[in-house]
Amino acid sequence: MTVDEIISAAMKEGRVYLTELESKQILKEAGIATTEIRLAKSKEEAVSLSREIGFPVVLKIVSPDVLHKSDAGGVKLSLDSEQEVGKAFDDIISSIKEHEPAAKIEGVSVQNMARPGTEVIIGMSKDPQFGPVLMFGLGGILVEILKDVSFRIVPLTRRDAREMIKELKGYPILEGYRGQEPANIEVLEDLLLTVSDFVEGRPEIMEMDINPIFAYSDGAVAVDARVILESE
Amino acid sequence: MKDIVEKLDRAFNPRSVAVIGDKREMDYMWLRSLTNFQGRVYSVQIDEQELPGIEALGVKNYYSLLDIPEPIDYAIVAVPRAVAPKIVHDCIEKKVGAAMLFTSGFAETNTEEGIRLQNIIAEMVREADFNLIGPNCMGIFNPKIGLRHAVDQYYGDGGPVGFISQSGTHATFFSLVGALNGVKVSKSVSYGNAVVLDSADYLEYLAEDEDTKIIGMYIEGVKKGRQFFTSLREAAKRKPVVIWKGGMTDEGTRATASHTASLAESPLIWDAMIKQCGAIRVDSLDEMIDTVKALLYLKPTTGVGVGLAAVSGGQSVVITDAFAKEGLEVPLLSEKSYQEFATFFSIIGSSYRNPLDISSNFRSMDNIMRCIDILNEDENVDSVVLELAISFMARIFRYTPVFFDSLVEVLAQYKERSNKPFVIILSSGPAERQALEARAKLVEKGIPSFPDFERGARALKKVVEYYRFQSL
Repeated sequence: MTVDEIISAAMKEGRVYLTELESKQILKEAGIATTEIRLAKSKEEAVSLSREIGFPVVLKIVSPDVLHKSDAGGVKLSLDSEQEVGKAFDDIISSIKEHEPAAKIEGVSVQNMARPGTEVIIGMSKDPQFGPVLMFGLGGILVEILKDVSFRIVPLTRRDAREMIKELKGYPILEGYRGQEPANIEVLEDLLLTVSDFVEGRPEIMEMDINPIFAYSDGAVAVDARVILESE
Repeated sequence: MKDIVEKLDRAFNPRSVAVIGDKREMDYMWLRSLTNFQGRVYSVQIDEQELPGIEALGVKNYYSLLDIPEPIDYAIVAVPRAVAPKIVHDCIEKKVGAAMLFTSGFAETNTEEGIRLQNIIAEMVREADFNLIGPNCMGIFNPKIGLRHAVDQYYGDGGPVGFISQSGTHATFFSLVGALNGVKVSKSVSYGNAVVLDSADYLEYLAEDEDTKIIGMYIEGVKKGRQFFTSLREAAKRKPVVIWKGGMTDEGTRATASHTASLAESPLIWDAMIKQCGAIRVDSLDEMIDTVKALLYLKPTTGVGVGLAAVSGGQSVVITDAFAKEGLEVPLLSEKSYQEFATFFSIIGSSYRNPLDISSNFRSMDNIMRCIDILNEDENVDSVVLELAISFMARIFRYTPVFFDSLVEVLAQYKERSNKPFVIILSSGPAERQALEARAKLVEKGIPSFPDFERGARALKKVVEYYRFQSL
């Protein structure tokens, strides 16, 4: 499905929250690498898709009504075998039915388990005065507790992208701290520029949260993503 | 000519001004501030009791703006708010170039009546595509043509600094405090509630203005954010733009709402935007003036190394802390410099590693200048900073104007021949009066001074950052 199709389908259903599946499809269309993600409507489908994708895999609930997937027991990581996948599928469905009985369940997404990297996040929100603004930060505790994030107004230039990465206090972590794999800064700059270009041309999108992105020395991949549309 | 220049030219360079509603109660402040205006001034007032006072000022009064027999470029409107819509209507009918509404009591009061009146005016003005400055403001200051908004503002010679201020007080203070510091205005505007013309419009105008080399802004909020972002990005490419944003705290944004009816804005986004556009952020009037002064008078540099000369051991320590805290470096000097110091520098009670403590050498003007020259020649030094210890001069060997005058003379000569920034810190101690005299003498010679180490360090840092951004 194209970005237009995804957005208009959601709008028709009166939804502003896109599912992770839809959000990642949108990112892919925008030219942003994401983990491989496929929709399984049954346990059997989940098992065969995980064989295709290759173990280990991740299973996550796909429902427009479940916003916090982990809290509702809708996420299972590091599944190494068909048995584990089958059990995880059943567990997710029963957990969602228990926690969010009214939620419409579209199925379960099967995703490859991304190789760990340095976690970064990119967010887009709209400022009432200045319009779309991008946020960049390091994932986990650095963003949550220390609020080590930077902002720029869309559209970004390459220089803006470079500076918003470098002005993070945690920047040395991206350079490869204590023998850790360094992140490829140019790839992250490209990623910010791609997001900037994309949201500039998509006024229907109100908010976007790509969190986390795993950054590697040779690339970066969006592991989770959430897109919220304007309600009009 | 760009559209915006054409649009606002009559407002900033009027040849005829009408003052509507000036009165004794305000001590005829508007008419009196126009005493030296180079064009024609008219008054509009219907209150018979005010007419003798207006006549005494030698200004011709009319009962209606529409009765004035010639075109009016700029109207100063100081009437009660209830009649403001009618007067604005007259201005539109008269095809006035721009009207400045001094009148307040509109949306900033957050009352039904205030908002209603502001909306009536806004609608009328938008429909007519009329240039309304304000309301709730002081309007334009153009010293070159004697267009002022306060009787104590200067006229005749203007300066190179454009100032755009949402507050009338800050516009007035910037012009007056700036002048004491050698910072003079080319054109400034106080624009209040900005119901139609907003900061971005004035910014675009001053970016085009040839008399304006540097732009300062005091902003509480913007209405057209995207336009502001684009205009700032463009303007900052052409000349330095220094921004003082009021309301950078939650409590402060509450105050901006009742002052100029500005909406709460995120300090983080403002900070990012200023940086992104290559503009310079400051947080007070003093910092605004310091920064503009530094941009005007300091030679450009992108280097962070400072050579520091202070006039006592204690001062040499804290001057170093002040500059290092701003992220500037206080490097060791070259071997060549140390060899030269060794030939004359009295080290008893002094030292010359960098920072220099030149107290023992301070009585000899030659020695002061030798120290400065060595710092200037040193390859590790990008900027030279000299503490002129006024209280030291006053106490130890008496502050004599003659000595100081000759010192200023040689410092001015040094400043001419050096291509490195030269910063003077006028630390007064208890000798405040003498320090102000000294500042005035330095200003006359175009030498910038700062009243303490911290302010000097911060201003220098802003200049270095600015040129670094420009050089990338």
